[in-house]
Amino acid sequence: MSRPVQILAALGTGALLSLMVLCNAEMTRNAGPLLGSLTPHATGTVAAGLALAILARRSASERAPVWAYLGGLSGALTVMLSSLAANTALALSGTLALGLVGQAAFGLAADRWGFLGLPRRKPTTQDLLALMLILGGSAILIFGAPA
Amino acid sequence: MIGAIGMAVLAGALIGLSRQVNGRLSLARGALGASFWNHLVGTLALGAAALGLALTGAAPDLAGLAQAPAYAWLGGTLGVVFVASGSWLVARIGATATALLVIAGQMVSGALIDTVRHGAEGAPLRALGVLVILSGVALASKR
Repeated sequence: MSRPVQILAALGTGALLSLMVLCNAEMTRNAGPLLGSLTPHATGTVAAGLALAILARRSASERAPVWAYLGGLSGALTVMLSSLAANTALALSGTLALGLVGQAAFGLAADRWGFLGLPRRKPTTQDLLALMLILGGSAILIFGAPA
Repeated sequence: MIGAIGMAVLAGALIGLSRQVNGRLSLARGALGASFWNHLVGTLALGAAALGLALTGAAPDLAGLAQAPAYAWLGGTLGVVFVASGSWLVARIGATATALLVIAGQMVSGALIDTVRHGAEGAPLRALGVLVILSGVALASKR
């Protein structure tokens, strides 16, 4: 698959995230943070199971280490940590902005050392400049939002 | 304050960690398979937490579920596509590029949603933020 397709897929994935946050925030407002996270996880399990049953062709031949099945734990913990941080003096905007910094820092480290069995990659000056522009623009959006 | 900052940064790093772990699983199980396991394990963990709370008397608000509008129930299905696509991308373009481009897509679409919902208030600053982000995306796309 060519790079432009991957870039567009990644941007679309981010747009999907905005819609997902909108849905899950509405669920949380009605049913509280725990059910607001449990409900989309449960319906997602059903949806993914159905999709697999319809779409899956190959039988899994390659084995994955047991820890590779535990990504969902980290996801469930993220929801808890960010709601905790959002209720401190950082507020939602500070929590969001620092979360972006955490994501970028983890990404750089993961690529540099090839964390968890994925390939190593060295960032170029161009990559770092792109990083600063995307995080800087995000900061403008986060802190410039009307209260 | 240091504790709160640590929590917020850690929450971001955990998003990356979960994408990296799911990306590794996608090499063996496919992107959709990785998304399935991510949601199943999350359901079991959160279900256990809900059960634990219910046993201590702090039962979650099940009646609130019925009050949520129908579209709120779509979050899980959107999440399946989100996790599958993140796992697929991280194994191909790397953790940094995936994180940055997903952030860019989220921020720009968020600015559009804000403009639709709240109108012109703050629009010039939003336009500037979007412009800076898109220039970063253009730079990241050039090879």
